[in-house]
Order: sequence, then structure tokens, then C-alpha cells
Amino acid sequence: MFSTWGRLYAAVLGSLAVFIVLFYVFMKVFS
Amino acid sequence: MRLADWIVLAVTLASIVLYGVYKGRGSRNIRGYLLADRQMRWYTVALSIMATQASAITFTSTPGQAFVDGMRFVQFYFGLPIAMVILAATAVPIFHRLNVYTAYEYLEHRFDVKTRSLVSMIFLISRGLAAGMTIYAPSIILSVMLGLDIRLTSTIIGGAIIVYTTTGGVKAVNWTDFQQMLIIMFGMVFAFVMTIVLLPSDISFRDALHVAGGMGRLNVIDFSFDLTNRYNFWSGIIGGTFVALAYFGTDQSQVQRYLTGKSVTQSRLGLMFNAVAKVPMQFFILLIGVMVFVFYQFTAPPLFFNPVETSRVKESQFADEYAFLEQQHEGHQKEQSVILRRYLDARAGGNEADVAREQAALKEAQNRTERLRLSASSLVAANNGDTNDTNYIFLSFVMRYLPAGLVGLIFACIFAASMSSTSGELSALATTSVVDVYKRHVSRQADDHHYLLVSRIAMACWGVYGILFAQFASGLGSLVEAVNILGSLFYGTMLGVFLVAFYLKRITGTPVFVGAVISELVVISLFLLERAGVLTLAWLWYPVVGCAVVIVVSAFTQVVLKSQTIMPPDT
Repeated sequence: MFSTWGRLYAAVLGSLAVFIVLFYVFMKVFS
Repeated sequence: MRLADWIVLAVTLASIVLYGVYKGRGSRNIRGYLLADRQMRWYTVALSIMATQASAITFTSTPGQAFVDGMRFVQFYFGLPIAMVILAATAVPIFHRLNVYTAYEYLEHRFDVKTRSLVSMIFLISRGLAAGMTIYAPSIILSVMLGLDIRLTSTIIGGAIIVYTTTGGVKAVNWTDFQQMLIIMFGMVFAFVMTIVLLPSDISFRDALHVAGGMGRLNVIDFSFDLTNRYNFWSGIIGGTFVALAYFGTDQSQVQRYLTGKSVTQSRLGLMFNAVAKVPMQFFILLIGVMVFVFYQFTAPPLFFNPVETSRVKESQFADEYAFLEQQHEGHQKEQSVILRRYLDARAGGNEADVAREQAALKEAQNRTERLRLSASSLVAANNGDTNDTNYIFLSFVMRYLPAGLVGLIFACIFAASMSSTSGELSALATTSVVDVYKRHVSRQADDHHYLLVSRIAMACWGVYGILFAQFASGLGSLVEAVNILGSLFYGTMLGVFLVAFYLKRITGTPVFVGAVISELVVISLFLLERAGVLTLAWLWYPVVGCAVVIVVSAFTQVVLKSQTIMPPDT
């Protein structure tokens, strides 16, 4: 359905979401 | 610095210059000199983009910022991956297809020569000022820390850049960026490991993070929406996207990096690498600052981190007052270490009431430290000194506590970071001066050899300008924000013009020109009103406002002009 580039862009934006979630968890665990 | 440090520093700097000259050889025409023959692979494009963005300020001020303000600055980078995806999908194929040398050349294809000239002039002014500061900022820090004259440090940075950019052009810039980024990564990993190794033996990395969290330094995410708050999730996602779109999409110092890509695919992959790597990299640099903060909770830090200002106060009429503050600070620091250990014990014990009590005690101790630092800063101010010591926190830690050789490596990193960002900027300034000004308005029919010679002269002239700027500049405030604020005053307008060019196909040259001029006037007025205290708007929002004004005004002007052309003349 999506082109190779479309999938890559989605993966890149997904990685940003994952980082934000990880940062949030990191902040909560150690604060 | 010890002999081993000077050797490491000298060898690293010499290797950068030699590598640049070697890799840049063979640029015999203007395409080779200004576009590296479009032969760069994605990994060179990727690290060159990263190195150009990461200036020396990134590695001196950012850890210092984490020390005093915590990690919230990382949110500024949340918009970057979004901008990278937008640019990879839209701008990269357009720039590649038109085979342009600069982003502004595209504006003449799309609009007209006046719009191209206006935007390239905005770029030359804004980036010209910023390029002067990217040499000045690290030069002053390095001169303070190494005890060298600022004329020497700025000449070393600027001189080295002139040697390899003048001989090798953009190919040399890209390859040295690649090498410099590897040196920087290597140095930063070592610095991080040392912050853990140097912790007291009874304090683990996990304990250190609990200390940082308990003292409010792990404030990575803040979801509250506040237009006056510089760094929160929303300003990062919205404002950060606009800033990154403007920087990577309209600033020739970045566009030139991915224009050298061998194909659209190679350029896109270079951007995608940054989209994934930049946020964790920035997090990591801030974490180094946090670890330095934790280290200094168990080892007495200097009361004020700028060694030159400290010596000046100690030799002034305020010497006794400063000595008294230092004495208080030392005693207080010992007490604080004890409270911290109690806090960690309470955490380990798992009793929430104990944890809350110790945390409150910690907060009180922290407030006392802040007050002492403020008092010291007031004495520095009374002595007519620079009160901002944020930029010296990390390097002062490096010089005092890192082993011989590693200190030299970290200083080499700071030099390398300064050279990588400045060389990207200077080569972009030279390219724009030659392609958008000289070749377009002064001499349109000369041969390739002539333009190559003019390009080399332009590279050298911009380099000399950067050195002179650094030597005469003074009285700057916080370095990180100064550079970013300067950029944000112009970025919105430039971005607005490019967004109209890419997406609003019906809008023509004159309306977008009018929109750009009005936008710049609005943004500068907002900035002046903010400085006068009339309104409060965090600087990350300036590009958003500037961009919106260009789009709205150009669309409106287009409608007005169109209605005038179809209106019959008055009789």
C-alpha cells in the first residue's frame, strides 16, 4: 500500500514517538 | 593542560587540515568546488549535516545548560525528524531535478530574480552574523580555558578552515565534517564514561540518576502548553519543526550538504540518518551535563566556573566577600553530600515518608547553593565581569578531573566542532555570494575557470571576515540562545517564501516578495517589543509567526493584484 520511502518515513516518525515515550518513562522512573 | 594534551590537540588539528586538503584535491571546476561533483554517499552527507549543525557551542553550553536547567532543552529537537521527513519527501527531489547550486537559485526558477535576490541577501546577512559568532563563541571560551589570547584561538580555527576550504571547496568541507564528527563522538563517549568512573565508589550510575531526578535535572518532557515557556513538548514539536524546516530547507549551509549527494536517494538517506540520530545524540550530550552535575554534588565545585572572572574578583575590592562566600559554599557542599546519601538510603529503604522528607531537605540545600552562586555572580557583575558561567561548566570539569591526553582530546573536539559548523557556513556564504550575487548580477558570461577563482577568493574572504568578527566582537550574552535567536528573526520569512514556492503554485513573484518584506518587518517589531518588555513570546515561535505572515500576506496580495488586472480601467 505504501511505497518504500513512505514506510521509511513512517519508521522515522515512529522512532521519534518511541524516544519521547522512553524519555518520559526515564524521567518518571528516576524522579 | 599537560604536554600529552597539547600533543593530542596539535596532532588532531593538523590531521583535520591535512585530511581536508587531501580529500579536497582535484576540484578543477566550479561544480566540483561548490557541489563536490554531486558524488557524496549518504553517510558522508549524514555526518556532514550533523557536524554542520553541531557547533562548538553544542558541546560547551549544552552540558552546562543541563547542569543549571536540566534536560528540557532536548524537546527543542522533537520537530527535527518531522522537518527532515517533509524535506526529504518534497525539497530534495526538486533541488536535485533543477540541478541548482543554491536553494535561492530555485526561487528564480519558481518566482523571479527579485525574490531570489531578497532571500539570498537575508541569508547573507543572517548567516554572515551567525558565522562570525560561531568562530567568536568557542574562541573566547577556549582562550579563557587554555589561557591563550582570543586572537590566537580565533586565528587557529579560522586559519585552518581557510586552508582546506580554499583549496578543496565543498568536498573538503564534507569530508572534514565527516572526520570531525567521528572525533567528536569519540571524545563525548569518553567524557561520559569518565563522569561515571569519577563518581564516589559507593554511588552507582543508577544512584546518580536518582540524585539527578531528585534534584530536578531529569525534566526531559513537559507537556504543559505555555507560549512563554521556551522548552516544552509543544514548542518543540511545533516551533521546533518550523525552525528545523527553515534551517535544513532554506539555509544554504545545510542545503549545500545534501545537494552534494550522489542521487536523491543518497541525499534523503543522509537526512533520515539525522532524523533518527539527532534526538538521542542531544539527549546524550545533556546527560553528560547532568552527570557532571551529579559529580559536583559529591565533589566541591568552584563557586563560579569562569576561571578568568574568578581570578579578577579575587584580585578586586570584593576579594574578602568572595572568599567568605567560597568558605560558606565549601561547608554547605559537605552538608549537601550527607543529605544526598541520606536521600539515597531512604530511596533504597522504600519508605515514602522518609524519601519525601529527605527530598525536601535536598531542595532546601539546593536553594542555598543557588543563592550562594547568585551572590558570587553579583560580585562578578559588580566587578564588571561576564556573569554567565554556563559555557565554562563542562570544560572546567574536563580540565580539573580528566586524565592527561583525554583533556587534549576534548579540547580537540571543541575545535573540531567549531571548524565543522563554521566551514559549512563559510562555504555556503561563499557559494551564495558567487552564484546568487556575482554570477547573477555582476559577471554573467565569464568562463568556468574565472568563477572557480572567484569562489576561492570568496571562501578566503569570508574566512578572514569570520576571524576579524571574532576578534572584535564582545559583550555577548548566553551563547546558545544568541545564535538561535539571531537565526529565528530571519528564518520564518525564508521558510514562508519556500513553503509558498513548494505548495502554493498559484502565488507569483511580486506577492511573495511583498509578503517577505512585511513578514520581516513584523518579526523584527515583535522582537523589539519583546526586548522593550511590552510582550512575552518565546523565541521558538518567531519562525512560526514569520512564516504565517509570508503565506497570508502573499496570498492576500495575489488576490488583490489579480482583481486589479481583471478590473476595467476607470473612464
